[in-house]
Amino acid sequence: MIRLEHVSKRYGNTVAVDDVSLEIETGLVCVLIGPSGCGKTTTLRMINRLMEPTSGRILVGGRDISTTRPEELRRSIGYAIQNVGLFPHMTVAANISVVPGLLHWDKKRIARRVEELLALVGLDPYAHAAKYPSQLSGGEAQRVGVARALAADPPILLMDEPFGAVDPMTRERLQTQFASIQQALKKTVILVTHDLDEAIRLADRIAIMESGRLVQYDTPEVMLARPANKFVHDFVGADHALKRLSRIKIGGYVKPAATVRVNASAQEIASALGGHRWGWVVDEAGRPVGWIDARDLPSAASLSEAIVRADTDEIAVARTATLREALSRMLGNGMKSIPVIDGQGRFLGEITLRDIETATAEAEP
Amino acid sequence: MSSPRFRRWALLALLAAGFIALVSAMKLWEVSLAFLFPQELQVVHPRATLLVLVWEHIQLVAVSSALTLLIGIPLGIWVTRPGGKELQPVVASVTSFGQTFPPVAVLALAVPLLGFGLLPTVVALFLYGLLPVVRNTIAGLNAVPNDVLEAAYGMGMSRFQALLRVEIPVAARAIIAGIRVSVVINIGTAMIGAVIGAGGLGSPIIAGLVQDNIAYIVEGAAPAAMLAILADQLLANVEKEFAHAPDIIASPA
Ligand SMILES: Nc1ncnc2c1ncn2[C@@H]1O[C@H](COP(=O)(O)OP(=O)(O)O)[C@@H](O)[C@H]1O
Ligand SMILES: [Mg+2]
Repeated sequence: MIRLEHVSKRYGNTVAVDDVSLEIETGLVCVLIGPSGCGKTTTLRMINRLMEPTSGRILVGGRDISTTRPEELRRSIGYAIQNVGLFPHMTVAANISVVPGLLHWDKKRIARRVEELLALVGLDPYAHAAKYPSQLSGGEAQRVGVARALAADPPILLMDEPFGAVDPMTRERLQTQFASIQQALKKTVILVTHDLDEAIRLADRIAIMESGRLVQYDTPEVMLARPANKFVHDFVGADHALKRLSRIKIGGYVKPAATVRVNASAQEIASALGGHRWGWVVDEAGRPVGWIDARDLPSAASLSEAIVRADTDEIAVARTATLREALSRMLGNGMKSIPVIDGQGRFLGEITLRDIETATAEAEP
Repeated sequence: MSSPRFRRWALLALLAAGFIALVSAMKLWEVSLAFLFPQELQVVHPRATLLVLVWEHIQLVAVSSALTLLIGIPLGIWVTRPGGKELQPVVASVTSFGQTFPPVAVLALAVPLLGFGLLPTVVALFLYGLLPVVRNTIAGLNAVPNDVLEAAYGMGMSRFQALLRVEIPVAARAIIAGIRVSVVINIGTAMIGAVIGAGGLGSPIIAGLVQDNIAYIVEGAAPAAMLAILADQLLANVEKEFAHAPDIIASPA
């Protein structure tokens, strides 16, 4: 657990951080967000004592950090920054080895750890360990930066715009990957960003700052539904209902639905539909390939003529997707319900526009 | 096998061997200089063989350059630390002032204080070579990216560890480039040592000037120029060793 108690930082007459109190529970991702110059970086840097607060105190695991030697404290806190700051004269492996080396791990253990971490961040150890930072792409460098911050398995991770310096596509990939790493590792993370979508995607708690002050500290859901003041309201923007949908996974809203095999007989179809007007058509592998309308059946010469065929990837969403993605898929195809598929593309059930409306109302915290 | 790196060092070794062979071949010098300057009765300086003169010259430069590094690099480091930062402009201007001083004037001032011979020459060369080393050390350290330093401290390095493991290695190429300039300047400037009896390749040149013997001047100047080129190449190779992505991958056959 990390606790900031009435922490302030002044530079001469500028108040960079103004009486901030904040508590971050173990294992959660807290995103610090706010416009440029509002004091996010300063707040972060006080937690690993790269800066000392002018007043107030900070506790990590119940202990006042001003009683721990800065170097020692920092070796137990992972730190990743926007421009990565990889050491240009060291290979990727050597960069990742720095903190374990400072902690006097033995060589074999360090080498094993480097391999493990490169694999964790999705880089092939054989291809990348011996490279120099100048030989990496922006995205690769940021991954190495995250691997380096995780090197000695610190319980806490401080990240200052860690995905800031890459193109939007790469950024989204890195965010997704970070989310799954965090799912497995459950670090206590403080992440600074000015990108609201990034905050909503990654945060368990969002802390919004405005000119040095903490204006709201809540879950993303509450933040979007009940902004504490006009500043937060303007910051989260008018489309907060839509943003909230991107916090909700489809999983819980999937409903069973009638399915018909592509090669089914007229009788089988009738019993499968059981009075429903619509049915999803699946192929031998169980993948949704289209739908049928019961009213078309009598007039059609054969079942295959009655099927409205559609590309699975076009109409279906994965169970792991969010309601926002489901909604955009529905709007894109002009459909009021769409099939949900598993990892292998097999039909699991459907989700309807009505379900999303219900979810939106329920999610109102 | 034949990586660019291997080729660089092999070429240098070859040049060095060629140089030693050339300055050892006194007979060759006598014959060629006699052919070029038939008007001179004596074409090689009688004080010592070329090999000895070159050796004296190298010693002179080595001792003064070593002093330059020993003082110049720590000085450059010190004025880029928080404790010495205020002195950075002062040190920069003093060292550049040192360079505007003609070496002969330094010698003239040094002789009354330090007498004749090696010592005043070494002092003059040391002062003379200081500027490029100090200036490049300061520039190299100042150019270490802020993010890199921030990462070093953020990961738990002490100031000293960050200096040793990150700042100096990152600044190494710039520092070595300064050393390269300093040493090459010193090889040329060391000539004047002969005026006050420090020996070296300046001896035949001074003798040649006094006795109006062009052959002597060439005997001193040609090996000095070659020595400067060799030293320059040597340090260029060392500088390349500190490139951030060494080209160790063998080129395709
Ligand atoms: N070293 C410093 N000296 C003086 N002022 C600073 C320093 N660092 C930051 N500030 C000021 O403190 C405020 C907060 O900065 P910072 O924490 O970097 O903001 P953010 O990361 O939210 O963009 C800014 O007004 C900035 O100009
Ligand atoms: Mg910042």
